[in-house]
Parts: sequence; C-alpha cells; structure tokens
Amino acid sequence: MNRKRINPAVLVIIMLGIGLQITFAHSVFTNIGVIIITCLYLSYCKTSSKLLILTSLYAFPLALGSWWSFIAFGTGDVWHIAWIYASRVYAYLYLGAIVTLTVPIKDILLSLALHLNLSSTFVYGLLASFNLLGRIKSQYKTIRYSAMMRGTTYHFWNPNLYLRIIIVALNWSQDLAEAMTSQGFTEGAQRTLTYKDNLPKWQWGLAALLILLYFIFSFLVRPW
Amino acid sequence: MSISLKVEDLTFTYSKDSEPIFDNLDFTLPINSFNLLIGPSGSGKSTIFKLMSGLYPQYNGTKKSGRILLNGQEITDIVPFERARHVAMLFQNPSRQFAMKTVFEQLVFALENIQYPAHLITKKATTVLNNLNLWQFKDRVLQTLSGGEQQRVALATILALDSPIIFLDEPFANIDSASRLVILAELKQMQIAQHKTIFISDHDISNYAGLVNHLYEIKLSSKNLLELPLSKLSKLPNQTKIVKKNLPDNAAFSWHNLSFHIGERLLLSPNSLSIPKGYVGLLSGDNGIGKSTLFAALAHQKKYSGNIFYNGKPSEKIRLNNWAKIVANIFQNSSDQFIKLRVNEELELSQSNSLHSEYWTAKRVQDAVNKLNLTHVLEHVNYQLSGGQQKKLQALIILIMSQPVMLFDEPFAGLDISSLAILLTLIKQTTKDLDSSTLIISHQRRGVIEHIDYEFLMRAQTITRLGEP
Repeated sequence: MNRKRINPAVLVIIMLGIGLQITFAHSVFTNIGVIIITCLYLSYCKTSSKLLILTSLYAFPLALGSWWSFIAFGTGDVWHIAWIYASRVYAYLYLGAIVTLTVPIKDILLSLALHLNLSSTFVYGLLASFNLLGRIKSQYKTIRYSAMMRGTTYHFWNPNLYLRIIIVALNWSQDLAEAMTSQGFTEGAQRTLTYKDNLPKWQWGLAALLILLYFIFSFLVRPW
Repeated sequence: MSISLKVEDLTFTYSKDSEPIFDNLDFTLPINSFNLLIGPSGSGKSTIFKLMSGLYPQYNGTKKSGRILLNGQEITDIVPFERARHVAMLFQNPSRQFAMKTVFEQLVFALENIQYPAHLITKKATTVLNNLNLWQFKDRVLQTLSGGEQQRVALATILALDSPIIFLDEPFANIDSASRLVILAELKQMQIAQHKTIFISDHDISNYAGLVNHLYEIKLSSKNLLELPLSKLSKLPNQTKIVKKNLPDNAAFSWHNLSFHIGERLLLSPNSLSIPKGYVGLLSGDNGIGKSTLFAALAHQKKYSGNIFYNGKPSEKIRLNNWAKIVANIFQNSSDQFIKLRVNEELELSQSNSLHSEYWTAKRVQDAVNKLNLTHVLEHVNYQLSGGQQKKLQALIILIMSQPVMLFDEPFAGLDISSLAILLTLIKQTTKDLDSSTLIISHQRRGVIEHIDYEFLMRAQTITRLGEP
C-alpha cells in the first residue's frame, strides 16, 4: 500500500484521454501497447490476478464475437479490422481496470471532487447508490421470499419482481435524500473536505505525455 | 445565542384534494426543555417533526397556509447546512438514513456538511462514538448492523452535529428496554448540561415521568397539538408478569441443535426447543443478540447448522416455496412484506391464496380492516401509509395467509397503545382459532406481556424458556 501510485483523478484523465482516441484509432499495435502498459501498471499495483483473469474471461465472448463477425461478414481488409476490434475490447477493459481495480470507488469520486471540481451532489449521490447496491441484492431475495409467503412465485423473469425493486429503490432514495438534507447536505454548497491525496505535478505531465504519445502513434505513425 | 422555533397558523396537507393533516396549528417549542409527543399511529407525529425540521413541504405535501419560523426566519428559506446547525432529526426507519458505508465515514460526512473545521473532525467523531459506546463499531459496514445498532449510530450522527434542537422520531422502536433507559438518562443529562431542546415522539410512554417538561398529544379531531398534564405519565398501570401456564406438549414445530453465525461471530450455540400450538410466545433479549437472525434461520433465509422440524419431518428436505407456506416471517421492516402496490391489492392477494380461506371470510377480513382502522386507506399506495399503518397492514396480510407457524419481528414498533391492543387481540384470536404457533419479538412489553402465554429469552448464545427448571 505504501508504494507510490498514480492519483485517481489523473488515472481518470488518462482513461478518458486514451479511451476516447481508441474509438477512432485504426491500429492493432497501439491497442496492444495500451494493453501492455496498463497490465504492467496493474501488476505494479498488485491487483488480484484472479480478478483480472476472470474479467478477461468475461470479455472474451465480446472480443471473439466482434472478431468473428468481421471475418465472416466484413468487407475489405477483414483480418486487420477484426484484430483491431478484438484488441480494442481488451484495451478498453484494462484501461478501465487501472481506475476501478486499483482505487476504491470512494477515493475515485472524492479525488475527482478535489482536483477536478466534480459537484458534491454527484459524488455523494453516486456514493450513496453504490452503498445501496448490496442492499438491492438482498432486497431481490427478500421480495422473492415475501411473494412465496403469499402463495405466489416471482421468477427471475417476472417483471413484477423488478417493478417492486424499482419502487423500493425509489422509496429508499426519497428517505435517503431527506436524511442527507437533515444532516446538512446542501446541493452546491461549500463543504469541509477531509479527503486528502497526493498529486505531484509530474503526474499531470505523465497523463499529458501518455495521451499525446498515443495520439502520435495512432494517428500520425499509424503502425498496422 | 437565543433560539426559537415557532409554528404559526399552519395548515398542511399531503395531497391537494384530501383533508389537511394539521389545521391552523399554532405551536411554540419550549426551548431548553425535554418534551414528549404522543398520538395514535397515522396522526402525524413524523409529519410535524419533518415540518419543523424544514424537510416538508420540500419533500412531500403542501403547506396551505401559515409559517414555521426558526429564529424568526421561515425555516424552508434557510439552507440545509445552516439549518442542521440548529435543528437535527432522527428518523423512524434506521436503515435508510445513511449515505456512507461505514459508521465512521457517516459521522465524518455529516460534520463535513456543516463545514466543521477539517482538523477537528476526527476528534469530534471519536468523542461522540466513545460517548455512545460505539467505538468498537467504528469501521463496521452500516448495512450489516442490527436495527437497534443502526439507530444508535444515527443518534451519534445527530449528536455530532451539535444542534441545539433535536427531534427524535420513535427512536426506541428497535431498542431494548435496558438500553432505552440508559439512552433516555443520557439524553436528559445532555439536555440539561448542554442546554438542548429535545422533542421525542414515542408510542410507549413509560419511564418518562420526571424526565419530561412538557407532554403533547396530536388530537385527530381538531388536527392540532394539545398540551397534556404531566400527571398522565406517572399514573401508569403496573407491569404485570407473564402468568405461568402449563402448556400442552403438542408442538408441531421444533428445532434441534440449531446454531448460526453472523460473519465470525457465533450468535447461537447448539440449541433445542419447540413451540406449542395455539399459543402466543414472546422472544426477548438485548439488541443485536440475534433474535431477527433466529427468525431468518427458522424461515430458511439464513444458513444454520442443526435441524428444524415440522410435524416430525426435517425441514431441510422441504423446498423453500413450500416452507414459506409453513413458516411466515413478519419482517421488522414492514415494507419488505409488501409485494403489491395498493392496500386492497395486498389484502386481495392474501385472501385468494389464504391457507385457511374458510376462516378468513370476506366479513372477517372486513371486520379486521375496520378494527385496525385501515378502512379509509384501502385505496392508498402502501408506501404512503404511516409507519404504524404499515405495521398493521403487514401483520394482517400474513394473518390472512395463516401459516401454521408465524414469527412476528417487532410488530408493535410505533403503534399506540390502543392499536397495539387491537392487533395483539387479533393475533391471539387467529392463533387460537387456527391452532397456529406464534412467536413475537417485541421490545415493547407494556400492553403486551399480559396477553403472552410463554416467554423465550435469548442470551449469551442460548435460548431458554423462562419459568422452566
């Protein structure tokens, strides 16, 4: 934990800056470059390899699907396009992973609020809903069980089940909004911020450099 | 700094075309005092608190006339962070008032909101948690705490805000009587020492004599707030004890070597008991001891070791959808019970699937609805009911289902004494008529004990039947 890390806000900038360009770039090599660099950072951060392998497996059908559809139905240089799209899936995946798998969600949001002026309404709204996720899962179980006690079965494809979950979530959000207001939370107002993180200036430089390098290689050098 | 909170000529309604809930209400909150608000469920105890905290009409309802003035200024015009420094409120439902994940983060969040100096926040949060004996919970995830523990954390959040005026809406609904007495004494001491103004709404008026400076009641007839003489608090009937009965040995429902954990913590070490048919039992024990978890295990909603038997058959072989027709768990949180939108839809569903439809005739259901005073809300969306009305509806829809084993988790929380008596009579009557086995968790003992046939006590990882050798 004491190892030096890149600040979450900088990571988000890198993710957006490169991610947006990937969408327009037509190069397998730069995609692979992104994959290699992000994987190096992930291993530097000692991200759980089990988790990484699992997410990679989840993404495999997507990569294979787009690869295969270009091979089967594409026109022109189908092999090149197929590999671009397949590698793009993994480039996106690991680019996202350097943010979401190395920093807790709370730190990402608070860091964005601290360094990039993300509104606190957005930060705490999102945080509150993330904290509710676990409860929604258990609510799903509760609703199904409540239905059983009343002699009906809500199968997982039953829309009533989801309608119920939505109603419950809406009511929670109303109660939560009231409680947050009464605890002094004010939209758009100043708050004390106890969250602190380390953001040396060179990290902004690093972000700019990486984004620029990617731009030069993808759009000017354009390797295969 | 002098502070004042005044309600002037207030008329408030939930929807424009319905009757107002308060009509030309005038009220001045007596500052530096300890006050208690009583009134039947659904009379507007939560509503008046939310109005005086500035949350309504922002979040619900319409103010037709009148003003609510905090220090002479209309309260809804004051920004929330400024308001929270003067007025704080503790909500009835403990689990839905936390924005953050852990106990400590929650306190920090509240202090940040009111722009408390950054370097003092940790110190302040630590002091408050220590004062409420919550320090060991500091890093616990809020959603894993028991109802009573959550309510204490919510209380800590409010005390951290240091507001001079504090509204507590049914704060003890999920708290055992011993902790209730401790917290009441602490609140009184704090009120005097720190010159606070405390206004509590409670359905249970015991133990307030000598603490309270003013007693108020919401009068439904005049839609107004009335001050009552304090003598009402000291003329309470004595608590009766459970009359020991020799119950027949007719149990159809039992458990053998039952045990379970929460995380690493053992809540129940192997325990064997059975519950008789046709009687109502009480399950008592301290907060967080594992009473609700026992119900969850018996209902197959929580992993356990050991066996649960029904009619001599181990339940582990019975599929959940069939088991749910044998054991009903009436949840602490009423809204978890509802699966339809409106009150009448909930009742119709129970009636058409009732396991004893010959008993629950249309007339009997109608009678029960009338007695529980739910007739005028049949068309309402069940979420819009007051806390007490939800409790009554929830109990009724399960009583109509009539499972042979019914486990009620705090069915009386937030109910006034007359609603409680009606509901308990209904539970008792159904249990007797249908020969069911009923077990109730209730922190509220007044008005309950005299109707109970036996008591189980959960303590130190074991459950024993009181009055047995």
